[in-house]
Amino acid sequence: MEENSISAKDKIELVLPMKPEYVGIARLLVSGVASRIGFDIDEIEDLKVAVSEVCNKLLSQTICNCKSYRIVAMPCSSGMEISFECDNRMLRKIFNDEEDSLSVAIINALMDKVVCFNDDSNKIIVMYKEVKGVM
Amino acid sequence: MSEKFNISFNNEDAGQLVVYVKGEIDIYTSEEFKLKLNEAAELGNGPIIVDCTHLEYIDSTGLGIFVGVFKKLKQKNRNIKIINLKDSIKKLFSITSLDKLFEIK
Repeated sequence: MEENSISAKDKIELVLPMKPEYVGIARLLVSGVASRIGFDIDEIEDLKVAVSEVCNKLLSQTICNCKSYRIVAMPCSSGMEISFECDNRMLRKIFNDEEDSLSVAIINALMDKVVCFNDDSNKIIVMYKEVKGVM
Repeated sequence: MSEKFNISFNNEDAGQLVVYVKGEIDIYTSEEFKLKLNEAAELGNGPIIVDCTHLEYIDSTGLGIFVGVFKKLKQKNRNIKIINLKDSIKKLFSITSLDKLFEIK
């Protein structure tokens, strides 16, 4: 049997319809990958909530007709990177610090780094979390 | 009712209403949670206790509903107490400072 061969070049992608019933699937993706990388149960819970917060916000956007969005989970040297992508470039700066204070507080507290994109790429947000053990 | 989420209440304890929440409260189940919790808030005049022994997951959608019901009850001078939270969920209440708003045991 092969030894654990999770690589920092692996990419696990999920395309979800813009529907609330599938946000739980996003959580399953992240918890599954995080478990493989070696995150502990508390860290996995953190990841699940942070991912859901972004999904919730994407679903609440009314300015575009996006039918789907993409979540990409990628092991990196010290943990995991999760990015959210959408083909519609109108979805930028989705969080408003005042209106979304609960969500923003939660994501910033649970993730080690959060980067919001406002350029021409498909990426909307990228979040990073480090794993305590060595990968 | 969603199989991922269940809510029921018991109005038999004298003066107080106990609401039992089970499963996950997220964007998909939150409307049901809101409906039922508000329904419970209309019953009786005493405090409401939300027993979260079997609550597995909540995010800001659920927290927002708790805040909405808290405000409603406060107008009627009623309390809401949240009990038996998982540590990971207690952490969310702490991050958002909602542990200062709610009585949590």
